[in-house]
Amino acid sequence: MDFIFDSLKTAFLLILSWDPEVYKTVWTSLYVSLIAIVFSTVAGVPAGMAIGLGQFPGRRAVITLLNTLMALPTVVIGLVVYGFFSRSGPMGQFGLLFTPAAMVVGQIILATPIIANYTLGALSASDSRIMPTALTLGASTSRGALLLMQEIRFGVMAAIIAGFGRIIAEVGVAMMLGGNIRGYTRTMTTAIALETSKGEFAFGLALGIFLLSVALLINMFLNFLQQR
Amino acid sequence: MTPFLALHAIEKRYNSHLALQLEEICFESRKIYSLVGSNGCGKSTLLQIVALLLNPTFGEMVFQGEKVVWKKKNLLRLRQDITLVHQSPYLFSRSVRHNIAYGLKMRGTNSKDQHRLIHDALEMVGLEGFGRRNARELSGGEQQRVAIARALVLRPRLLLLDEPTSNMDRASIEAFDKLLPLLVEQGMTIIQATHSPDQPERLNSTIIRMEDGRLA
Repeated sequence: MDFIFDSLKTAFLLILSWDPEVYKTVWTSLYVSLIAIVFSTVAGVPAGMAIGLGQFPGRRAVITLLNTLMALPTVVIGLVVYGFFSRSGPMGQFGLLFTPAAMVVGQIILATPIIANYTLGALSASDSRIMPTALTLGASTSRGALLLMQEIRFGVMAAIIAGFGRIIAEVGVAMMLGGNIRGYTRTMTTAIALETSKGEFAFGLALGIFLLSVALLINMFLNFLQQR
Repeated sequence: MTPFLALHAIEKRYNSHLALQLEEICFESRKIYSLVGSNGCGKSTLLQIVALLLNPTFGEMVFQGEKVVWKKKNLLRLRQDITLVHQSPYLFSRSVRHNIAYGLKMRGTNSKDQHRLIHDALEMVGLEGFGRRNARELSGGEQQRVAIARALVLRPRLLLLDEPTSNMDRASIEAFDKLLPLLVEQGMTIIQATHSPDQPERLNSTIIRMEDGRLA
């Protein structure tokens, strides 16, 4: 047990001494995931609303595809995007591989189906009287959809938070598309994997504490929303 | 003379189930009509078609001399003159004021006029001072009155009410009975669905009996 306690002590010392390596890694994780979640929200929420409200052929197939995409392993996303961004790939000339931008792209692909699916779920569970009420009060279909989104706002927020929780904690995309370059694309999860394999358990533990804190904050926020 | 509202050979089917079949029904302006009949007789379906919220499977509707074309843009324009208050109305999860202001905002009413109109509408339904209250925290009867105020504030030419007094207490019903003739005097036409045995006569309304989706 001494090993664990000593490592924990060192981990807290690293955190409290504002170790630049730790904080740079935390910052990289946060900004990559925050940029990705903004794009995923812009794509995922309207997509979920459109699928939920729309009546079009193949709707059921689209929902099945969305469910399948939710279960996509992160390494598969990493692999496919790697193929596109690698030097000989169709987008190789942009030189995006092993950059934060490539990680953002991978995380967008990971989070968008989650946000779309959760939004769709919130919409399906919403009160069926909302849209007719908006229409009879003189709203257009698009204004009615906006009102509907306001009425299910807590479900939409939960969707965004679920997406963020997924991408901040993933390893596959960050490792394959970011390359775990120190001070550039190294995230909390890739650093934990690397440092632990190098025997730097305390460093990994310090980052693990940050990752847990982020998860705790997300859950506290979700609970807060559910209580409202 | 062209009737205010006319329905010709209207039919509504859900797959093979026939929910409504009306040969001909006309409504004059500035009158109160009461649809009566047992549950499932087609009253709510009829109200939803007249409110332009439900397309009929067949048939034609003429409102204020204009044949209704069931296209989004056209419906949006015509709905500015028709408002339906549902049997169990949905109130938005905000204040009473926000609920009543919604339709006015959709019509581009400025905030000064909104304030005055909301005040008047709340007064009409006996809910003065309720503007800041959370709509969801009101009693069933109060919520019903907020929904009615939300419709009245829009001054529709045609007001549709689906079981408007179902959640109201005696005093509120009496106030409501006094309000409807005043609205007619102001130029509204009212069609209500009701289960109340004596209210249609009390209101001196034209009674339309329905049975199994047809006029009885």
